[in-house]
Amino acid sequence: MAFLVVDEEEDVKRARLTAEEREARRLRELSKIDEFTKLTDATLTRKKERDWSRDAFDLTTRLLQINPEFYTIWNYRRLILLNGLFVDVFSERVKDILMDELGMTMSALKAHPKVYWIWNHRRWCLEHIPYGPGKESDDDYTGWKQSAWSRELAVAEKMLDADARNFHAWGYRRYILASMPTPRPESSELAYTQRKIEANFSNFSAWHQRSKTLTSLWKQGKLDEAKSREDEFELLRNAMYTDPDDQSVWMYHRWLVGTDGSKELLEREIAAIQELLDEQPDSKWCLESIAHYKRLLLKSYPSDVDIKSLSEEIRSLLSHLETLDPARRRRYQDLGKTAI
Amino acid sequence: MTPTTTTKSKSDPSTDTLLTDLHIKYIQDLGNSKDDLTYHLTAHLRLNAIYWGYNATCLLGRQDALNREEMIEFVMSCWDEEAGGFGAHPDHDAHLLSTTSAIQILVMQDALDRLDIDRVTKCTPSPPLSCISIAHTDTPLPFGLTVIVSLQQPSGVFAGDQWGETDTRFLYCAVNALSLLGRLDEINREKAVEYIERCRNYDGGFGSSVGAESHSGQVFVCVAALAILDRLDVVDVETLGWWLSERQLPNGGLNGRPEKLEDVCYSFWVLSALSILNKVPWIDADKLTSFILSAQDPEGGGIADRPGDMVDVFHTNFGIAGLSILGYPGLVDLDPVYCMPAGVIEARGLRKGWKALERRQS
Repeated sequence: MAFLVVDEEEDVKRARLTAEEREARRLRELSKIDEFTKLTDATLTRKKERDWSRDAFDLTTRLLQINPEFYTIWNYRRLILLNGLFVDVFSERVKDILMDELGMTMSALKAHPKVYWIWNHRRWCLEHIPYGPGKESDDDYTGWKQSAWSRELAVAEKMLDADARNFHAWGYRRYILASMPTPRPESSELAYTQRKIEANFSNFSAWHQRSKTLTSLWKQGKLDEAKSREDEFELLRNAMYTDPDDQSVWMYHRWLVGTDGSKELLEREIAAIQELLDEQPDSKWCLESIAHYKRLLLKSYPSDVDIKSLSEEIRSLLSHLETLDPARRRRYQDLGKTAI
Repeated sequence: MTPTTTTKSKSDPSTDTLLTDLHIKYIQDLGNSKDDLTYHLTAHLRLNAIYWGYNATCLLGRQDALNREEMIEFVMSCWDEEAGGFGAHPDHDAHLLSTTSAIQILVMQDALDRLDIDRVTKCTPSPPLSCISIAHTDTPLPFGLTVIVSLQQPSGVFAGDQWGETDTRFLYCAVNALSLLGRLDEINREKAVEYIERCRNYDGGFGSSVGAESHSGQVFVCVAALAILDRLDVVDVETLGWWLSERQLPNGGLNGRPEKLEDVCYSFWVLSALSILNKVPWIDADKLTSFILSAQDPEGGGIADRPGDMVDVFHTNFGIAGLSILGYPGLVDLDPVYCMPAGVIEARGLRKGWKALERRQS
């Protein structure tokens, strides 16, 4: 089964064509089809013949410009590099070819930012950048690699400027950060995600990345957990008041509360959200979050709370949610059954 | 989005019901659109497209709508001898995505015996692909199997082919295909589960790799793989059920991630996961049904990503699959774990404990 193989959100509007328009399109497309199928046949024939020449390489360039999703041709292109263009040349030449390759795929990427095969090819190029220009004992032994990796980080950022939710670009970014020859301090990712979040609170991808970064920094003891958690609550508070209907913010809040989970924190956050709820009594996410945190209180601290009144509060919140958000009423009902 | 073009309104009476005959005709005609540039530009998806189209016809109760022999012949012509798997089209390279589609089609056509005819005893990927070692077993594995098994990485995830891209999608493909062939024990199941577990996020969802954001498509592959591996205990059902139910938007459609647009294909990815977790009632089935139906093309057949857009066989299959889970009248039951007709999976003794909505009579 294949899925996620098609660009998401391509949004091509349906057009109803008349017979004449259809015929005109058919004629228009005929020459393109002819060009494409001839080019395909020629390239695949060369592939079968194990032709690793520059000529064959140029054919793959033309074909991929027409169809960047033709994965077999990307594979063939790499075979030509490995068995042809890279053979008997100095490593500087290999580096130059790969840098050209990254340039060529950049234009493909701009036109098709969600094609898996283009991203894969970039990774492959990056991983094949040779050591140099210096020798192993020299400082600039990883110079080529480092500059290629830094450039790719900029590429990922550029792609995220164009579409801040592109999960390919986020994945590529994580990959670059994890495998750079000279790693960047992880804390710089906090500044990056903050910038992304402040540009748009709805950017859950950035919130997600931030949660992973913080978890890692806390784990390594590079950041004071208690203090930075409070900073995060501050950031969230702004976002919540800006748009209380934005689920990204509430999901991140749920993560943040979960990193501590103490009774004090739960009660404090319930009170803080209650303030917002008092201003906006029909805010689904306020109700949902308070219900969730009260359920957590009940579950985690059964001997320290008034079970009966807390259960009653939860049930009342859930029944309010049932009328407010009827699409999910069965979920609220199910939660109500387990709230005691 | 271009708001100027005509968009079918939701109340369009012609899309109130499932246009079965039109969809069948649309799927049948797909193979005859060789004058269409798109047909040629999608050759790299051909085998997948045949699976989507065939699965849709089966769900519509018209499994004979497409020619059986032609289909099987085409599948077999996609075999890539050098790599030991199926490509998406003759002369295209083998990949796990197309290999899984091939096996699914052969299982649905009850034609797995064709694999044995071509049983290979030794399939070694050609250089420089030989960096992936072949799993050694005493009994030679059937056709293609050796390669699938060899794609498992030390971390437990699978690569899509010998070039090494890894993704939880490929893990699912491998688990799906091997279980259909009854050879799931050839892989390291514990490692596979361990990898999925590492991809789990605090929102209960799963991403494409460790550290990646939760995405409905990846949630489906991870949950379905865990179902096949009998390890649904790894799922935080309440949290994931919450996340999945929040994918439904006011217009009834489902999105793939928070604060994103709806798309018909998520009707399957979100719904299948809900169904495996027995939580389909956590969303509004009627509103989703209307949304899927409104994305039909009432003139040419087929279903689009959203109302008014160009249809394609991918969204047609996943739209109908979603409707089947929602109990839409007249449709054949779908197995949400395999995205194949439930009867086919039951016959192989592979049915898991999922629950769809009861099939309505009218």
